[in-house]
Amino acid sequence: MKTFLIALLLACVPAVRAEILVIGHVKNDIENLTAKQVQDIYLGRGRVLPNGKFALPIDQPSPLRAEFYEKLTGRPVEQINAYWARIMFTGQASPPQQLPSDDAVMQTVRENEGAIGYINKTSVDKTVRILLELD
Amino acid sequence: MNINYSVIAVSLFMAGATAFAEESKPALSLKGFGTLGASGMDNDSLKFRRDIKQGRGVDSGWGIDTDSRLGLQVDADFGNAWHATVQWVARNYTGDFVEQNLDWAFLRWRPRDDLDIRAGRMGFDVFMLSEYRDVGYAYPWIRPPHEFYAGLPVYHFDGMDIAQKFAVGEGQLTVKVFGGYSFNQVPIGLSDQADQSYTLAGVKLAYEQGNWNARIGYNYSLNNLELSTLHPLMNALNDPALGAVWPDASTLAGKMSSKDKAVHFSSIGLTYDDGQWLAQAEGSYIHSELDVYRSVASGYLSLGRRVGKVTLYTLLGISETLNDRTNVSTPLAPVPALLELRNAADLALNSNGVDQKSVSLGLRWDVIENVDLKTQWSHYWLGNNGSALWLRPATGAAADSVNVWSVGMDFIF
Repeated sequence: MKTFLIALLLACVPAVRAEILVIGHVKNDIENLTAKQVQDIYLGRGRVLPNGKFALPIDQPSPLRAEFYEKLTGRPVEQINAYWARIMFTGQASPPQQLPSDDAVMQTVRENEGAIGYINKTSVDKTVRILLELD
Repeated sequence: MNINYSVIAVSLFMAGATAFAEESKPALSLKGFGTLGASGMDNDSLKFRRDIKQGRGVDSGWGIDTDSRLGLQVDADFGNAWHATVQWVARNYTGDFVEQNLDWAFLRWRPRDDLDIRAGRMGFDVFMLSEYRDVGYAYPWIRPPHEFYAGLPVYHFDGMDIAQKFAVGEGQLTVKVFGGYSFNQVPIGLSDQADQSYTLAGVKLAYEQGNWNARIGYNYSLNNLELSTLHPLMNALNDPALGAVWPDASTLAGKMSSKDKAVHFSSIGLTYDDGQWLAQAEGSYIHSELDVYRSVASGYLSLGRRVGKVTLYTLLGISETLNDRTNVSTPLAPVPALLELRNAADLALNSNGVDQKSVSLGLRWDVIENVDLKTQWSHYWLGNNGSALWLRPATGAAADSVNVWSVGMDFIF
């Protein structure tokens, strides 16, 4: 009952949702990416960045993952998973690799010129380039 | 024999892939999917099955074989251009448990971002869902629409495909051509099984834009084998001694023949999904040159609505055999042995019709990420000589109106 009341209370408060940043390597020569470009890369429809490099998209665990896809595509994460189930189990493409945290994503993005990741806005620093802001 | 060749080919291919792998450190991953499902119906005069490759069905005593399955997939990337996939699915189907359940084992070359060339064993891409019929998590229903998919025993083929993507308007057009050879073991009646082999070729155009998906496809399948279970009957009808007392006998044997006769699959499909509303419809016409497998037209329409984690859906399906019955003449000499032969010929040629309509209601509940629970009620109307998609007793009348209930859990990992 107590949990229920807390849940109800939280539901009434305007959700404080983190802003999410899509980030890339500092030297990747890309000013920014459109939501459509990020979508194509994260849904396996395109594998090449505007600079000609192979994209290495990186996922994170939910709840950040669920929020990222909902902001990016307007669809619940279950639908994204169902989409990927169709794509990967028919041998067409593999979903992005998952890393456990903002730090791990930042680290990989620093090391790979083709890497694309998403992180909480609060985690960003000058070592990566911001490509798209989702809120 | 066919089985051995396939297994050897796959083993060689995997050995090659592994050798290649050792040179360039591939990225390997293991994934899987599964369904735990139970279903039952309100009638015992026939048995419900998911498709005609299943030799077991359920009646009023519930069972878990219809929909339960577990698929495992290993993917390996060798650099940016080469990829290998092997997928095997544990399911209670007719045929060799290892070989017949191996649905994917291919090597893919992607020389450009928009071009895929694959060789090996691949899913049979003839209708919208035919390549991922086993992956319940990927669609809203408890199983693919029965009228459309139950008549398709072919899950995979060995050969090659080439897919090219084009940017067209705001969306993406995929053109795929494929060809190869398919070996299948199918149940005959309640206790027997037979080998089938096809040489096949097909083409698919798929267009994806925003909330819309459209698909149009054609496939040509040429039969390479006679149905082994019909051999004794065909031999008996072909006996030259019969000519005098039953002139039609050898003609009937010819009609029973499958070898070198083709089946043509044409289909069109459209889906819409905006996150809240979903709609999907497909129509097909299967033109068959065989008399033991009749030409059939099928279609379905499904509408669904998502509310939070729950999707409510309805599904209407229809499948109708189009050709007339084969007229089986009576022997001039009405000897019991000949009449028995005549009845067997009549049964072989005229008991394979599909005349089926259904309405279903169901829901999918996405309980946690990567796991859903589903339940579905379906009501089927079956016409006279119209239950070929079901398992029927050799004699006796079957019901013409039945209910099937199902519950299931799908997961991916």
